[in-house]
Amino acid sequence: MIQATRNYFLFLRRCGRIAFVGDWRYYAWMGLLTAICLFGLNAYCKQLVHGLIVTGMTDEVSWGVYIANFTFLVGVAAAAVMMVIPVYIYGNEDLHDLVIFGELLAVAAIIMCLAFVTVDLGRPDRFWHLIPGIGQFNFPASMLSWDVIVLNGYLLLNVYICGYLLYRRYQKKKPSKWFYYPFVFIAIVWAVSIHTVTAFLYVGLGGRPFWNSAIVGPRFLASAFTAGPALIILALQVVRRVTASAPAGVAVRLRSDVIAAPRQATLKDLDLLAHHLPELDTVSMEDRLASLHGATVLDVAAGDVLLRQGTTEDSAFFVLSGRVVVKREEGGRFRITRSAGPGEQFGEVSALAGTPRVATATAEKRSLVLRLPAASLRRLMQSHKMNEIVQSRMSERLMITDHGLLMLRSIVQVSMLINVFLLLNEVFKEFYSGNLHVASAKYLFIGLHGHYALVPWIWTAIGLNVIAMILLVLPLSRSLKWLNVACVLCIIGIWIEKGMGLVIPGFIPTPLGAIVDYRPSLNETLVCLGIWAFGLLLYTIFLRMAVPILQGRLSKANEGQEL
Amino acid sequence: MSRRNFLRGAVAVSGLTALAASLSPLLELSDFTNVDQFMQKYYKKMTPADMAKVLTRIEGEVQRQYGIRPHVRDYKPMDGVEFVYCLNLTRCIGCRKCVHACVAENNQSRNPEIQYIRVLKLPHGSLDVDKADHNYAPAAVPEPGFFYMPVQCQQCKNPPCVKVCPVHATWQETDGITVIDYSWCIGCRYCEAACPYFARRFNFADPQIPKDRLNPNMSYLGNRPRKRGVMEKCHFCIQRTRAGRYPACVEVCPVGARKFGNILDPESEVSYILREKRIFIQLKEEMGTSPRFFYYFDV
Repeated sequence: MIQATRNYFLFLRRCGRIAFVGDWRYYAWMGLLTAICLFGLNAYCKQLVHGLIVTGMTDEVSWGVYIANFTFLVGVAAAAVMMVIPVYIYGNEDLHDLVIFGELLAVAAIIMCLAFVTVDLGRPDRFWHLIPGIGQFNFPASMLSWDVIVLNGYLLLNVYICGYLLYRRYQKKKPSKWFYYPFVFIAIVWAVSIHTVTAFLYVGLGGRPFWNSAIVGPRFLASAFTAGPALIILALQVVRRVTASAPAGVAVRLRSDVIAAPRQATLKDLDLLAHHLPELDTVSMEDRLASLHGATVLDVAAGDVLLRQGTTEDSAFFVLSGRVVVKREEGGRFRITRSAGPGEQFGEVSALAGTPRVATATAEKRSLVLRLPAASLRRLMQSHKMNEIVQSRMSERLMITDHGLLMLRSIVQVSMLINVFLLLNEVFKEFYSGNLHVASAKYLFIGLHGHYALVPWIWTAIGLNVIAMILLVLPLSRSLKWLNVACVLCIIGIWIEKGMGLVIPGFIPTPLGAIVDYRPSLNETLVCLGIWAFGLLLYTIFLRMAVPILQGRLSKANEGQEL
Repeated sequence: MSRRNFLRGAVAVSGLTALAASLSPLLELSDFTNVDQFMQKYYKKMTPADMAKVLTRIEGEVQRQYGIRPHVRDYKPMDGVEFVYCLNLTRCIGCRKCVHACVAENNQSRNPEIQYIRVLKLPHGSLDVDKADHNYAPAAVPEPGFFYMPVQCQQCKNPPCVKVCPVHATWQETDGITVIDYSWCIGCRYCEAACPYFARRFNFADPQIPKDRLNPNMSYLGNRPRKRGVMEKCHFCIQRTRAGRYPACVEVCPVGARKFGNILDPESEVSYILREKRIFIQLKEEMGTSPRFFYYFDV
């Protein structure tokens, strides 16, 4: 127990340390984000001292960009569910590793949401009045109290799921389904609930006809499922780019494929492997001896290629000492998918399946590698424990494939169509019936009594959304370049539509018919930028920790080694 | 010292300096909260002794800030009383004397300006508030062709603002007045979004009241000075009405358009009006809020 706690804290410390390590691009990016955060913090301090008067909000328009951003980000957080559903319910392998990126994004987004609500409070010092049991929590009457519960619950769920999966991966243990499957399914339902509850914040207000419409909830979900996966598509490509090593053309100094003098493997080599892979001890002596048939040990130097992408032969490899990187050539670049240290395997998937190699393995430094024919590996896997560890490792590869991104594209595509459809429904209902309640919609779309503040915003949003929708529907966006354009357009479009286009016009005109325009102040804008920078900073740190763990470069096995 | 350590130290020092600089506005933060204020219990959970302590504390705070020792009381609702307001639209001339009497009575901020009553100027024949003029300023009122409709908290029987408050900082009392505990409100402004009558006002900045204009007769749930970051609104002048007096707006009205009283008393003026008048209006009746504020006409 004490050992387990110690291990866990060591894990956290190593994760913490790695957040401060990176190349110059990493430092530059983090430095920039930190600077923006500090500007935001400074602006927030001014707001604390002078009150919300430093924002553009008034009694007439009493919620502004803070709540607009909050609403948008709840959607982004909810969208993590879109990654989870195909993987766990339909067993889609392409998205498997992407789920963690999605859930980490959800964690960062929820923290940003909580920050946006906090800066919107007039008396943040009284937050404890919201704590059930200690304060006076108006549950279930107030939708805001529901939001407090679902947002914090969602945060905990996702922190737990990500934390558990990453820690198991770090320990190189297979996650136990009982410890996370139930939570994953709760999280799926919960994700829908956070966005529905947030929509109900608005829908529940009878005095605000612009919000008091049953379609707002479904619209929120549709736009969330557009913007969220779009954001993830972009984030994943950044991860992929950053973990890429070199352009394929300028190949890494590859040495001859023929490695000098492989020698016959002996029982001693298996013992060495068992030192790093205790599961091997469960293999009977008979099986061990049988597996040595045709097994060789390779003594390789840095840069030696052990297997090459696209070729077909039937051997699997275990690293005895040193380190081997597995790279995958994709879209003209090499990308390190993972790195294998002592005790770890590579090449076993294609060996067992008899399929062509999907990646190239190269020694990172001088290494000893055990090469086993597929038959020998099968022999070793007759031991239950050995079978389990090899199988579980096979399913835990960090693969951001183009195919995975295109899966997300189809989600964005369908959601965008539904989103635009629902928007048209709303527009029809507002304008065709033409009753008095159309005032807010008029203010938003065509201007009201000489007030046009939101008109340019909403038409920009509609333009961006329509262009994004067309791009997404056309086969053109199967190319990542155009897909990225479409994603950027729909993120901005939906941010405007849902923020400026939904929150603000709900207040204009006021219930007594006054029209007061709203413009965010500089201070308010700085606070928003600060929170966005803080969220990006968090997400970057999360990725900085998660990627090496998923690649196997940061694990319990290499404790004590600098990365 | 190695170059690497020197760089690390330099980054750490400049980072901390930047952090300190960004936090520096907090140096101006005074009297935002203190231990007593922070720890103050919820209104309904306070014993009379707790309340007495809080009232004394508030008197001290007001004295320090305004130089006047006020008299702060926690007026409780009276048994057998439910307040109702009636406003005669035929009589109202739109002079806004009620607005200013309210500001003076209830210690509302002069800068930024907070007013509980909004008087709408409407063209004859329409109750559509979208046609209302909020900022009319003619040389003389009333203007021909228009009528005036003052709007303030409607003291709904089914108040949307109370329902949405996440911390029970606003509630309806037995005499029908919806009150706010300014010491409990977290300033989320959800009630302000929920109110269909634009009746609530938020303290976006610290309220400013000239020292010589402070009304020292104060109530805890009523006109005691507020601080920035909390909500306020009309409370039917709790400090007057729960002591048997009329609200300030009723007293000041030069044309007798405003009537106030106990609906549970069949002899009261408001009971008479609601019994005898053929037409009266509850604003936005279709919202189901059931206001205790009735507009009527001389018919």
